[in-house]
Amino acid sequence: MSAAAARLEARESPGSFGAAFAWALARDVKLALRHPGETLLVIAFFVLVASLFPLAVGADPQLLARIGPGVIWVCALLAAFLSLPALFATDHADGSLEQMALAPHPMSGWVTGKIAAHWLASGLPLTVLAPLLGLQYGLEPEALPALVAALALGTPVLSLLGAACTALTLGARGGGMLLALLALPLFVPVLVFGAGAADAGAMGLSAAPHLSLLAAMLIVAALGVPAAVCAALRIALD
Amino acid sequence: MSGPGFYIWMSYGMAALAVLADVVAIAVRGARARAAIEEERDLEAQD
Amino acid sequence: MNWFYLASPATFYRFAGWLAPWFFGLAAILAAAGLYVGFGVAPTDAQQGEVYRIIFVHVAASWMSMFLYFVMACYGAVALTFNTRLAAMMARAIAPTGAMFTFVALWTGSFWGRPTWGTYWVWDARITSELVLLFLYFGFIALANAFEDPRRGDRAAALLALIGVVNLPIIYFSVQWWNTLHQGSSVKLTGTSMHVAMLWGMLLMAIAFWMYSIGAALTRVRAIILERERRTHWVRGLAP
Repeated sequence: MSAAAARLEARESPGSFGAAFAWALARDVKLALRHPGETLLVIAFFVLVASLFPLAVGADPQLLARIGPGVIWVCALLAAFLSLPALFATDHADGSLEQMALAPHPMSGWVTGKIAAHWLASGLPLTVLAPLLGLQYGLEPEALPALVAALALGTPVLSLLGAACTALTLGARGGGMLLALLALPLFVPVLVFGAGAADAGAMGLSAAPHLSLLAAMLIVAALGVPAAVCAALRIALD
Repeated sequence: MSGPGFYIWMSYGMAALAVLADVVAIAVRGARARAAIEEERDLEAQD
Repeated sequence: MNWFYLASPATFYRFAGWLAPWFFGLAAILAAAGLYVGFGVAPTDAQQGEVYRIIFVHVAASWMSMFLYFVMACYGAVALTFNTRLAAMMARAIAPTGAMFTFVALWTGSFWGRPTWGTYWVWDARITSELVLLFLYFGFIALANAFEDPRRGDRAAALLALIGVVNLPIIYFSVQWWNTLHQGSSVKLTGTSMHVAMLWGMLLMAIAFWMYSIGAALTRVRAIILERERRTHWVRGLAP
């Protein structure tokens, strides 16, 4: 078969969600690995801001242990938020976003792939690093599993919701501040339940109710938000 | 701060102020829109 | 009547201009009635004394803040589905009034909370969610105005409103999900634990605010129509 005929056949066959997802995930992970600076910056910001709180409120171990779960959550949230603009910006700038939108594959496929890659480069490192910060704040080791579980469930939701807001503000005036105004209110339920889970763990109570709610949020977000992101991208690309 | 009067006045007073601000904002927006139309009409008349 | 006739900004401009004063009038009458019932008829509360009378404006404003957001999201849905200009303009017209009522709800709640529970502010679920709702309104207004092309702003803000509408059930059910300082919901669909005059006062004020909101939205949308359609013949032909 000639190359042109092969390309024609490829274009006529409908793409699949899985293929698009895998392609976008592999591409963005590869790009992230080529520029590890971004992931390292996310981690650096996380640790840096988490270090500011003890300097501000004093090094009283009981106070730090009390505020630790919440502070770590806020720092993770902010760090994840700061990496959001890069999700679509470079692709939008060089036109690849439009090319991807024209592909025969379902848009939600590669969008979900990009969001998954974003989480791997931001949320996952934060989740892995959180126990270390927990120990810095004097949390008991028994409290750490709840913290990690909460972040593991919550940060993907942040990536999903953040992606929707990033798509909405693509090319808008107001930049990062507008994105913050849009995204941070949407993050609040995740923060409330996530920090609640971490607090419950720190107090020795069961974090299961909070974690179940976080898991439910994740499922709903994973099923529903990519469609919203696609709609927002279509509005942006028109 | 004595008695319930202070709190009731602060609440209802601010509510009244807020509604008034809303009304004024609408009126100002309408006036600005009309002024912009007038300006464009004048500019076109000059052509 | 062909309702789609009203979807034209030109037609709706005149229709809204005719309709709005009636709603403002209704609002004034109902507010007067509500305040009379609230201050003249409803008795002094056994526990809270006179200060509880703030609920007549506080509860009405909170209900409006949430209801208006929902209506705004509905107009957003219509705007996205049918790609009409007017539905998006209505959503934009509602937003500032919704934000205003959210602010009033927060402020009056604060001044009710201080004498009743000892604090101007507490970070419980319902109050915090109401604050978040205020930011959702600001976000809508900011996003709608963040683009050169107003149609892009229309669509982006409409989508944002739909995403944010998930916040409303969380506010409503938050009282049941957490143990909080905030007064448990005392107006239930099955019955109420309040004196009937108190209930009437709240309902009258709520409907008064609702009538006002309709009047305000109709008047504001007229201004928006003038802004957007100022290059059209019919606008140029309007008497100054």
